[in-house]
Amino acid sequence: MKQKPRVAVFDFADCEGCELEIADLEEEILELIDLVDIVSFREVMKEHSDSYDIAIVEGSVMRPMDEKRLRSIRSKAKILVALGACATMGGINKIRNQWMPEEVKKDVYGDADLKGNELFDVFKTKAVNEVVPVDYYVHGCPIDRDEFKMVITSIALGKKPEIPRYPVCVECKKNENICQFEVGRFCLGPITRAGCKAICPTHNSPCEGCRGLIKKAETDCVKEVLERYKLSYEDIRRRCTMYNYGREECSVDE
Amino acid sequence: MKQTIKTITKKDFSSFVNTIISEGTYDVVGVKPKGDHYVYDTLDIAAELRLNHDVTILPPKKYFLPQYEQLLKFSLEKPFEQKETLEATPRIIIGVHPYDIIALQQSDLYYLDQQKDDYYKKRRDNTIIIGADIQTVSERSFAKSMNTNVTDTGFDLLLTDIGSNYAITIGSEKGNKLLDKYATTKTATDVEIKKIKTVRDAVAKKYKQKVNLDKKDWPSLLVANYNHAIWEERSDFCMECSSCTMVCPTCFCYDIKDEVSLTLKDGKRIRTWDGCMLKDFTKVGSGEVFRDEVKERYRHRFFRKGNYLPARYGFVACVGCGRCGIACLPNIADPCDLINELAHFEREEDTGRYFIKEKTEMLEKGIIHVSRSATIKKMKACNELDTLFEIELDDKKPLGHKPGQFVEVSVFGYGEAPFGISTPPGTSPMFEIMVRRIGNVTKKLLSMQPGDKVGIRGPLGNGFDVKSLEGKNLLFTSGGTGMVPMRSLINYVLDKKYRGKFKDVIILYGAKRPKEITFMDDVEQWKKGGNVQCELTVDKCEPNECWGGCTGLITTLFPKIQTSKLDSKNTIAVVIGPPVMYRFVIKCLQTLGIPDNNIYVSLERRMKCGVGKCGHCQINGIYCCKEGPVFNYAQLKNLPEAFE
Repeated sequence: MKQKPRVAVFDFADCEGCELEIADLEEEILELIDLVDIVSFREVMKEHSDSYDIAIVEGSVMRPMDEKRLRSIRSKAKILVALGACATMGGINKIRNQWMPEEVKKDVYGDADLKGNELFDVFKTKAVNEVVPVDYYVHGCPIDRDEFKMVITSIALGKKPEIPRYPVCVECKKNENICQFEVGRFCLGPITRAGCKAICPTHNSPCEGCRGLIKKAETDCVKEVLERYKLSYEDIRRRCTMYNYGREECSVDE
Repeated sequence: MKQTIKTITKKDFSSFVNTIISEGTYDVVGVKPKGDHYVYDTLDIAAELRLNHDVTILPPKKYFLPQYEQLLKFSLEKPFEQKETLEATPRIIIGVHPYDIIALQQSDLYYLDQQKDDYYKKRRDNTIIIGADIQTVSERSFAKSMNTNVTDTGFDLLLTDIGSNYAITIGSEKGNKLLDKYATTKTATDVEIKKIKTVRDAVAKKYKQKVNLDKKDWPSLLVANYNHAIWEERSDFCMECSSCTMVCPTCFCYDIKDEVSLTLKDGKRIRTWDGCMLKDFTKVGSGEVFRDEVKERYRHRFFRKGNYLPARYGFVACVGCGRCGIACLPNIADPCDLINELAHFEREEDTGRYFIKEKTEMLEKGIIHVSRSATIKKMKACNELDTLFEIELDDKKPLGHKPGQFVEVSVFGYGEAPFGISTPPGTSPMFEIMVRRIGNVTKKLLSMQPGDKVGIRGPLGNGFDVKSLEGKNLLFTSGGTGMVPMRSLINYVLDKKYRGKFKDVIILYGAKRPKEITFMDDVEQWKKGGNVQCELTVDKCEPNECWGGCTGLITTLFPKIQTSKLDSKNTIAVVIGPPVMYRFVIKCLQTLGIPDNNIYVSLERRMKCGVGKCGHCQINGIYCCKEGPVFNYAQLKNLPEAFE
């Protein structure tokens, strides 16, 4: 029998929620471990191995020590998967990039003496692909479990996963939701990559853009809609800061 | 025909619905409130049902062409195992407004034409439609001006609220039986029958939106304004979200993909709604996107509704429900606004029709989207990029194709992709396709071995009418992988059995690089034949590449044609190549004096379903997979999208 690929799951700056989504596969986790050998997954097991084929990396890179660790992971893995918004695009951690790292540090730790302590040696937040090449992306905050399974099976079959390049509206309309704009909320669905099954608007909450933007926020059509709904550029900028600070459109291969 | 009309008290109607629900034979669906809106959903009790709704968010289309639908189950472990999932729950849908009933009649014409969709049909057959006359007019609806606010057909039963009772118009035997079995009704009195008309007339007065042009005039209005600035002006505000097509009762396009279980043991082939406003809608394997600009996609949506489908089926594919107007955030999707605005302008010159009338036939003999089992017999690398696959149908029957036709090749778990057939027609069950690594299907095919199984649908498309080439000089021009289908035609023409029927043959063949030349063995054979001139060129040749031939674009070969041989009026030219090639080659052919109707081309588009249903391969009003891929150039003048 063909040897199963060895998979290791790692986390950087994140809430570990995406790893939790994997753990939450419940009975399907049995099928997952039938498909792959999980050799390292700090959140759910104590064993660890440095010998793996596929590295699944969650979280953003915040410090030189993270960068070093990520490079080491990349060097051991044949395939690297970025898991969740913190890894795929920096996500929430990039809110911090509005300020200089030193300002942030001062704001959080005041006058505490952190000199020489590499744990506090922070630079501007980076997504995984700003440090090492990424082979596959599982978008979202948190990830969608079905999409995660689809990406894993695609890797196992050696095929390119079909990640949507169309907006959340497509899935939202299929779910027969009432448009968030219509109930007076401002939703990033029209310019955000689908694949989440429009989970937020389906549960009556506007899209926050966690899977990345597929259209620039600063375009005429967006402006027109904002005006129609009495919103300003400032509103959209603020909304995009949550997950898309410093980012424009997603690249085609993400 | 005079329809039977009965009446039922509202209380009895409730018991009728409750009885059917509790009996459990049918999934009883009705209009239910959702926030300030309405949706079709399964009813638990009759009290949930609303019949005074304005419009539902989605049309009842979702019960016949679901958002997400399993077509097949397949095994990844067994060599070739598939099971089509032709299942349909018996269902009753209550509260369908006349415009939605008319939209369903339109989708019947679309899905149940010569090429019937078995999945759709099964659901349609298993569903009873209980319509309801409109009581509340939706803000954006313009159904009155589209004559879709009332209907006499298309339903099994139709309810009209005439006060304390509902009048029930019986539209079918199925409806009649249902009523007999479950309901207490009375025959309607003349007064009650008159009341139906009074009620309808009163509601008809409430429409705020009105399209100012009779729908029979939409096609000519659109045709006259194909190049109007309005498409660009309005689409500048388009968010390309395709919400307009998602909520539309007459948008029928879909995509198909394979999903695999986590065990990798099995999977399913899924059909899901797609939208022509999305950029990737037309994207083909090589990465080419047709209708690349938003304005082109925006125009396509209206032309499909107001020109292409009317030309084909005789109906304007808009029923005035107003859903797209509600769904579109920048408010540019509403056909009522667009037509009214367009009707204001003076009409531009009529630039022609965007449709070719071709006869349509049943393309898939079996169940739609189900492929036949076949075996890879041989795989032979042709050059660095291309591998020739010899495939045999497992029923050992010949494919029965014409040159220029294509097949859809399935690899379960990876998907399905179209391939031109490169062998001439014959009695052998073997045929050949050329595989170049482009996407998931081709990548997988290249990793397979002789003996492995694939699925085949086809032959599909029209192919060349070889009879029309008889007695003529033939000039074949192909570029790149265009040689794949061309080889089928050339080898047919040069076959000893048929060679006498054709006159001189000239073959011009260009590839990007020497290493991309395919069928070199064939080329050598062709050169040996009598009265055959065969010229090759490559766009570029690196110093380290071995190439003694001509370099330059395909057009550089034209001066080499021995024109003494060429009686242009008695020459048929066939051109197959990448999209960029056509314009230049056709110019050369015209310079040679070859009339347009002596030029044939084969076009590449995204042939997803291959049977003229999914919408991806549309070139203006035609389906490239069904009415093409082979076209007479003179006809293509009607299709500006052909070479855009």
